[in-house]
Amino acid sequence: MNSLVHLLRRGRGLLLPMVLIGLWEIASRQGTAQAYAFVPLEVIGQGLVELIDSGALLISTLASLQRTCIGLLLGVTLGIAVGASMAMSTVVERVIGPLYHMMRQVPILGLIPLIALWFGSGEGAKILIVSLAAFYPMTLNTFEGFSHIEPRYREVGRVFEFGPVQQLTQVLLPSALPSIANGALHALAFAWVSSVGVELFLSTGAGLGNLMMNAEAGSRMEVVVIGVLCIGLLGYAMNQLFTRLSQHLLRWRDTR
Amino acid sequence: MSSLISVAAQPRVFIRRVRPNRLSWFVSPLLVLLAWALVAQSGRYSEQLLVPPAVVWDTFKDLLDSGELLEHTRFSLSRLGLGFALGASGGLLFGIALALSKTVEVYCSPLFHTLRQIPSIALIPMFILAFGVEETFKILIVTKAVFFPVALATSEGIKAIPRNYFEVGRIYRLPLRHLIFDIAFPAAAPPILTGIRIGLSRAWMVLVAAELLAANSGLGQMIEMARQLMRIDIVMVGVVVIGLIGFVLDHGFRLLEKRLFRWKTR
Amino acid sequence: MNASLKQHWLDQTTHLPGSLDIRGLGKQYAIEGKPLTVLQDINLSVKPGEFVSIVGASGCGKSSLLRLIVGLEAQYSGDILLDGKRIDSTSLERGIVFQDHRLFPWKTVEQNIAVALKNHPLTKKEKTRLVAEHIQLVNLQGFENAYPHQLSGGMAQRAAIARALINKPKILLLDEPFGALDALTRVHLQRELQRLWVQQRSTMIMVTHDVEEALYLGDRVIVMDARPGRIKHEIHVNLPHPRERHSPRLQKLKDELLTELVGSDHVEVAHV
Repeated sequence: MNSLVHLLRRGRGLLLPMVLIGLWEIASRQGTAQAYAFVPLEVIGQGLVELIDSGALLISTLASLQRTCIGLLLGVTLGIAVGASMAMSTVVERVIGPLYHMMRQVPILGLIPLIALWFGSGEGAKILIVSLAAFYPMTLNTFEGFSHIEPRYREVGRVFEFGPVQQLTQVLLPSALPSIANGALHALAFAWVSSVGVELFLSTGAGLGNLMMNAEAGSRMEVVVIGVLCIGLLGYAMNQLFTRLSQHLLRWRDTR
Repeated sequence: MSSLISVAAQPRVFIRRVRPNRLSWFVSPLLVLLAWALVAQSGRYSEQLLVPPAVVWDTFKDLLDSGELLEHTRFSLSRLGLGFALGASGGLLFGIALALSKTVEVYCSPLFHTLRQIPSIALIPMFILAFGVEETFKILIVTKAVFFPVALATSEGIKAIPRNYFEVGRIYRLPLRHLIFDIAFPAAAPPILTGIRIGLSRAWMVLVAAELLAANSGLGQMIEMARQLMRIDIVMVGVVVIGLIGFVLDHGFRLLEKRLFRWKTR
Repeated sequence: MNASLKQHWLDQTTHLPGSLDIRGLGKQYAIEGKPLTVLQDINLSVKPGEFVSIVGASGCGKSSLLRLIVGLEAQYSGDILLDGKRIDSTSLERGIVFQDHRLFPWKTVEQNIAVALKNHPLTKKEKTRLVAEHIQLVNLQGFENAYPHQLSGGMAQRAAIARALINKPKILLLDEPFGALDALTRVHLQRELQRLWVQQRSTMIMVTHDVEEALYLGDRVIVMDARPGRIKHEIHVNLPHPRERHSPRLQKLKDELLTELVGSDHVEVAHV
């Protein structure tokens, strides 16, 4: 009996979602107009089965993930390089800094029409946008990380005759790693969101965003709902993965 | 160690310390502008790919004069404003409830945190299907984008108020009004304001995206239309205006934060 | 005193203890445009294998002196010669232990000590062996894979000492190495340092606030005066090692030193 009560207590958080789902189901049965927007749960279930069977869900998911990963890789690498050099050289900061800050003000998705005009609407343009989305937070955080390196550790490096490369790998990079990890986490979120976003807009090729846009055109709410859930789920899962990874890499930190 | 300031040379110099003056911030943007003008002049790229800065400037003046630019801006900003008002007020209320009431937290927070993970952009197709392509869906999506960061920041800001602040209030037997305005508010206001600022930025991003996809007015729609007509000059004007508005909103709030919270040690 | 000495690495010493010659050393800093003389006409000769303690009130430039010797600061007037060669930058021949241990937080104890050998021409196997030996030398066995934040102050400082010694530097500098530690740990580590020095007989120069510590460890104690920093007084400690902290002779020297130091207090009142 005790364990049942215990289980119920922990499940309290599920009460509200369940009630809402129940209401949703009721609303969907109120008539055809409502079934349009509030698709019955069983239709959602059917849609899910259909998507999995046809392989559409897998293909879309993989396409979105792939684009996110490639864009992330490019954006993060470039971001670290640019952020680090801006922090370490006043010249670079004055040259690239203003351009960077100006560009940063425009929401990524607002740049889509411009980029579409210049680079077309193929996969390359999409990856460019995702890279850009990852680049911004990465640069900023890397810049922060490299700007606050304690000179006393550099001095230790000098005592042991470190050359510039050794200073970078042994002192500067590890010291900036917490900020870099933070930047990567933000970059991930931005990359994922813009990967989906760019598909909504440039609807050629495969992807979850595409899936939803097509479903929207065909008024298939159940596919849209499934798409939304997948996007949220995958975003969360990737976030958790990154967080665990960075916790491991930063295990040397004083957790006080 | 003695705390003397050293201007000593570092023999193995790895970092070059150049000391430029304030004007140097403008050098590279100006150079880029110059390069842009020159490349456009040379005619290497077609009119549709690269318009000279002068043309963009003229287009900007035209759009301004014809009132078109202002009208689109007005539409966008009014959607933003309405959605922001709804989202911020809702977020504040919910955040307060979440922080102060254990019941609310137990029953609502799992759902809240789950929904928070869903990017606003991803909800655009869903909202279009549910609410049509008119104003409603845009305002609602702005509301969503603002609601979650504000609610989160509010609840965390309130929860972070140190207990001893309230204990001091109790010792002096301060009435509730005082507790709220003199203690709780100043303590929680900075993070809440930051949350509002973040919500606003995100909302602006989502609104532009929504207008790109499904609107017949607004800055997003303006540049999408221009793109279809291959009028890159209008696209550029639009992009710059969007960026400018985003900048003004973001920095305006930052300045507000700095002035209101001068007492805060950074 | 424990007897876990490993003599064979002593025999492989590539750097014999060095002799230090400082002649007419002067150092100035510019503060808001005005020059501030930190060190003035310092003359000091340190014989190979000697242990010299330096005491003095705050602001007498003792830390600056060490930084100049180790090469972290390069501009000075006069001469600093190690075995006859002028010092103008850092080198593996000169090691230093800071007051804040300055172990890299992102490296384990083992990795931190190994860092010192990064630019040392030894094989990987040799390096691993050497690191293990030095961990044993400072009694940190079992903590090879610990991160600095997991160590106590005393342990971290021991690791820092191992890191400084592993290169067998010609001269080892210690800048108030035990200043940040509690009294008990300090006593313990002073004994450790004495043991290491007796084993190795490297040339060591230690800056400290603690007069007793200076006398316990040093062959000579140099007293410095402040503003500008200069050498005021020198005491030879002719006591055999290992020393007794409470021996009457030591206490007598301590009284003498304190009188020297306290006498210059009236200069310090106005400065923080």
